[in-house]
Amino acid sequence: MSEPIGRIPPYLRTPPAGAAPAPPPPPIHHDAGHAGGDQVRQRPFVLTSGRVNAVDREIEFETQVTLRPYDPRTGRVPLASLGPEMQAMVALCQEPTSVAEISARLRLHLGVTKILVADLRAAGYLDVHVADTMSPHSPELILRVMRGLRAIS
Amino acid sequence: MDYVRSPDAAVTTRRPPVPVKIIVAGGFGVGKTTTVRSISEIAPLTTEAEMTEVSVGVDRTRSESLKTTTTVAMDFGCVTIDHSLKLYLFGTPGQDRFGFMWDDLINGALGALVVVDCSRLDDCFQAVDYFERAGLPFAVALNTFDGRLPYDITEVRWALAVNDRVPVVAFDARTRTSVRDALLVVLEKALDQVLHPAAPR
Repeated sequence: MSEPIGRIPPYLRTPPAGAAPAPPPPPIHHDAGHAGGDQVRQRPFVLTSGRVNAVDREIEFETQVTLRPYDPRTGRVPLASLGPEMQAMVALCQEPTSVAEISARLRLHLGVTKILVADLRAAGYLDVHVADTMSPHSPELILRVMRGLRAIS
Repeated sequence: MDYVRSPDAAVTTRRPPVPVKIIVAGGFGVGKTTTVRSISEIAPLTTEAEMTEVSVGVDRTRSESLKTTTTVAMDFGCVTIDHSLKLYLFGTPGQDRFGFMWDDLINGALGALVVVDCSRLDDCFQAVDYFERAGLPFAVALNTFDGRLPYDITEVRWALAVNDRVPVVAFDARTRTSVRDALLVVLEKALDQVLHPAAPR
């Protein structure tokens, strides 16, 4: 059973007007990789509510992720209502970042990272550049990489 | 179409580079992470990912092999090629007794570098087998741990039973230019495979 791409998980949907405010979020660790040593380690897929397969199979290890500019016409849930891992992801993606790097820096399982990244895209926070890949069979691409490597000394 | 920017959107959305990748494979402790560290512009990072293991070398009467999924740690680094292209290097974990199937990882890869410790040649057989079957361009790089190679490259090639079209080179995983040259061998092989696709592997 596959979920449609772009489905917004219930906890990311915009709350109805007048809904109780979200509890204050824990402080964001911009470098969560070195924080939280005293935290109890959860089973990795607790963070995804048990989902283990990324909705979008095109999200790869090296896929680039960037912050999506806020669009007032679509709106989105307040940042503070997101889980700490998701808030940390949003903070990390101020600069274009690969999925693998997000996983490593936030010490999240890669599979978990893919799912949360897809959730944040659905929620309007992140752009996932799945289409920005080049065929590894392009001679021009290979030559470009070779030229770049040759410049290393 | 014009966008009304709110203060929240003050972030400059820089166009991300197009990512490309090369896989660095080999048995446990052959120098994969050293290889990545030598050339990466960031200290190697580690991510945990799922890998499908295929048990081999175990007596199995049935034709299908036993597959299990396991979480492994994987080291990676990156090199900025130019303003719009970034090369990622992924070190696949060393598995002595298991074959691996990591189709997710090799999908879209330019090629692979199989790092080999000459004193433990059999550690790299799985990787060589896998890339051969997957049709991914690869080169074998013999890591000269103490700066010298105990065997002749021809001898190693014979022992590995790789065909003449697979490049086999000696390199020093600790030296940046040596790693660079080994990666260039992989890319030359990739280019050759693209330009002469009909040639038998």
